[in-house]
Amino acid sequence: MAEEYNLSIPASLAKKIKERIEGTGFDSISSYVTYVLRELLAEDEKENELTKEDEEKIKERLRALGYLD
Amino acid sequence: MNGIDGMENYNYIVSGLERSGTSMMMQILHKGGMPVAFDSSRPPNEYNPKGYYELEKGKIINKLMDGTFPMKKYRGRFTKITAYGLKFLHYGRYKIVYMVRNLDEIMNSMEKILFDKLNRFAIGLMEERKDMGYIIINYNDVIKNPEGEIKKLNEFLDGRLDVDSAVKAVDPKLYRNVREKL
Repeated sequence: MAEEYNLSIPASLAKKIKERIEGTGFDSISSYVTYVLRELLAEDEKENELTKEDEEKIKERLRALGYLD
Repeated sequence: MNGIDGMENYNYIVSGLERSGTSMMMQILHKGGMPVAFDSSRPPNEYNPKGYYELEKGKIINKLMDGTFPMKKYRGRFTKITAYGLKFLHYGRYKIVYMVRNLDEIMNSMEKILFDKLNRFAIGLMEERKDMGYIIINYNDVIKNPEGEIKKLNEFLDGRLDVDSAVKAVDPKLYRNVREKL
């Protein structure tokens, strides 16, 4: 079994997660948080890719600087 | 009519994030005898007292996006196309001078994360595309050591640059932190 670390999160957040995972395949708050963090890290590791959101923000800045209509 | 023999087979581009020294690089190339394409549609201002060296008021990206920018017309000359615009370049033959600069000088921390990503995207794109040759030039290094950096640039340009004249385009007095003004 992989080594595990315990993390603390605010009780209010834990409550929200508990509500969110009700009726889903996640059997615990830990398994949900682990899934979300993995997804987040995987996204971050796509170093050379721009998301649609990134592109929208870039366009916003280019418009502000007069480089784009 | 592109000026220098051997250059007509390529589109030469100065790129990088906005405010990363692309205008300074265009001035360096111009002073150094390279053919550069620009018009007077965007006048000099406090950020760029020596001028922007741009075409179409800097709004080439719009034309690249809709495929109406006449890239062929500018073969053999340097045009300024900022980093995001590289994404829309059709397959061709490009030599790109890509400017980078310490982002702390030109952006706040939130912007920095996004535009650092854009830099990585643009550099990754140039690395992947076989039709693009590129050199990365650091603005801060040019200010510190103009001659050394311009010599590197000259190697990339197959020795076509007049280095002594090009060095004169670098004005350290213009080096400033523009972040507060943005």
